[in-house]
Amino acid sequence: MDATIKDFEAAIAELEGIVKKLEEGDLPLEQSLQLFERGIQLSRFCHARLEEAERRIEILNERGELKPAPASLSADDDRRS
Amino acid sequence: MADLFDLPFEDPESEPDPAPVTSAAPEPTPVPTRRILTVSELTGEIRHLLEQEFFEIWVEGELSNCKVWNTTGHLYFTLKDKSAQIKGVMFRTSLRLLKFTPKDGLGVVARGRVSVYDPKGEYQLVCEHLEPEGLGARQLAFEQLKERLAQHGLFDPTRKRPLPPLPRKIGVVTSLDGAAVRDIIKVLRRRYANAHIVIRPTRVQGDGAAMDIMRAIRSIGKVPGVDVVIIGRGGGSIEDLWAFNEEVVARAIAGCPVPTISAVGHETDVTIADFVADLRAPTPSAAAEMVVSRKDDFCTRIDRLEQRVNAAIASRLHRAEARLRWLEARPGFGGFRARVAMRGRHAADLDHELQRAMRALLASRERSYQRLRLTFEAFDLRRRMGRVRTRLVAAEGKLTAAITRRRHAADGRLRGTAARLESLSPLAVLARGYAVCWNAERTQVVRDASSVSAGDRVRVTLHRGELECAVTTSDSASKEQDAPYKRL
Repeated sequence: MDATIKDFEAAIAELEGIVKKLEEGDLPLEQSLQLFERGIQLSRFCHARLEEAERRIEILNERGELKPAPASLSADDDRRS
Repeated sequence: MADLFDLPFEDPESEPDPAPVTSAAPEPTPVPTRRILTVSELTGEIRHLLEQEFFEIWVEGELSNCKVWNTTGHLYFTLKDKSAQIKGVMFRTSLRLLKFTPKDGLGVVARGRVSVYDPKGEYQLVCEHLEPEGLGARQLAFEQLKERLAQHGLFDPTRKRPLPPLPRKIGVVTSLDGAAVRDIIKVLRRRYANAHIVIRPTRVQGDGAAMDIMRAIRSIGKVPGVDVVIIGRGGGSIEDLWAFNEEVVARAIAGCPVPTISAVGHETDVTIADFVADLRAPTPSAAAEMVVSRKDDFCTRIDRLEQRVNAAIASRLHRAEARLRWLEARPGFGGFRARVAMRGRHAADLDHELQRAMRALLASRERSYQRLRLTFEAFDLRRRMGRVRTRLVAAEGKLTAAITRRRHAADGRLRGTAARLESLSPLAVLARGYAVCWNAERTQVVRDASSVSAGDRVRVTLHRGELECAVTTSDSASKEQDAPYKRL
């Protein structure tokens, strides 16, 4: 992911700021284009983040180890999907 | 007096009080004599004493030998502590009012009176009300802990952290056996199918459950990527939920490095954990709903923002285009190339102006072209900008190439002129292999061999560089100057 974007929350906030600036500000063309590019970049980042998380259930045991959860735990869910 | 065939300790409400035995005062006897009582009389007196002394008492102990008689519905039991026991009875009418079922082993506080069962000569506790022991104590502990933690600022609203809008990993501290864990998984999957869930199983009731929960919260808070933790369990009695009222659990929740959601029991159950957690959910399912918005909602929100960015930039480009047209329409714009040429302006100037003009023209044409396109194809401004840029770069490339060609042509001409100039130079012949011989001082050209003699020094200028030579012989005799050519 882009190093200039901190996280999902920051990306959404920045995107909202860009929309606001573009919508109200009478900015120079070059600056507008830069903001536009950044806006698109942020939007792509957010979409990517939404897809990024792995569909996974893990069990953290008493020794601090992560193990895959038994399939029975999400059995209901699997049946539906 | 006693009706021996009656059932022991009938409910006083269903039967009138037995006739007071105590009224059977001793008969006046003239002489001090033995006063002989019947067993019934004695028993009656004992009953009288006990009932007077212990007519409204509270007694605590542990229930055992609990038995409800089928025929009467009365409860018979033994109340005991470490070193003593007392038999007891609770009549059906009182028993009906209890909210719990008395069971062996249960610690209770009983309210009632002491009476005597005449047929067996046993005293008993006639119990009017029973309450489980410790409930009051627990309530007290709850209030005390709540107050203490409040004083320590653990419930301070400023401590409450917002949940991350899109958690990377969702931590869950609960029992694997209960329905809660399944409810949470089900809801998370429904809202956000690719959720990454980390469960730290823990006991949630019974001895040691609080310590177990505390350890679970501590360890799940350390898992990299877990940025929110749900702590909870399904519904149960207040005793079942009690671990969530323990201070160790409250402190662990307060110390959790990431935001927490408490989800203990049902909506009406309130625990200390609820006060400390960053967010309280009425149920485990509700906690799962709070932890992540629907993925679709996220997508819609981002798409809307992107649409607004697109619309805003489109409007900005439109304005830029209008300005370009205005500039284009200004008189003199078209003639400046000629002017520039006529005035012989510097190439860099020309370059600059041409590029500007070309850019303006290109941009304008590109806008018109793109406007047409927009009516036909999806509104992807990003790609459009890419294309504009590509064309612009290509145009600039052509422009630069043209200017470079022009410069090269000028350079070529200059080089030709210089070459012609050089061909006129007397020194040019040197390039063809001729040399010029000078005297040692390089003040005179040596034209005649006789002007030097053996031992003299001469300087010879070549096409490149100069030689200093010593004359070994000087043959002044006339020789064919073109002899070398003949040799060649």
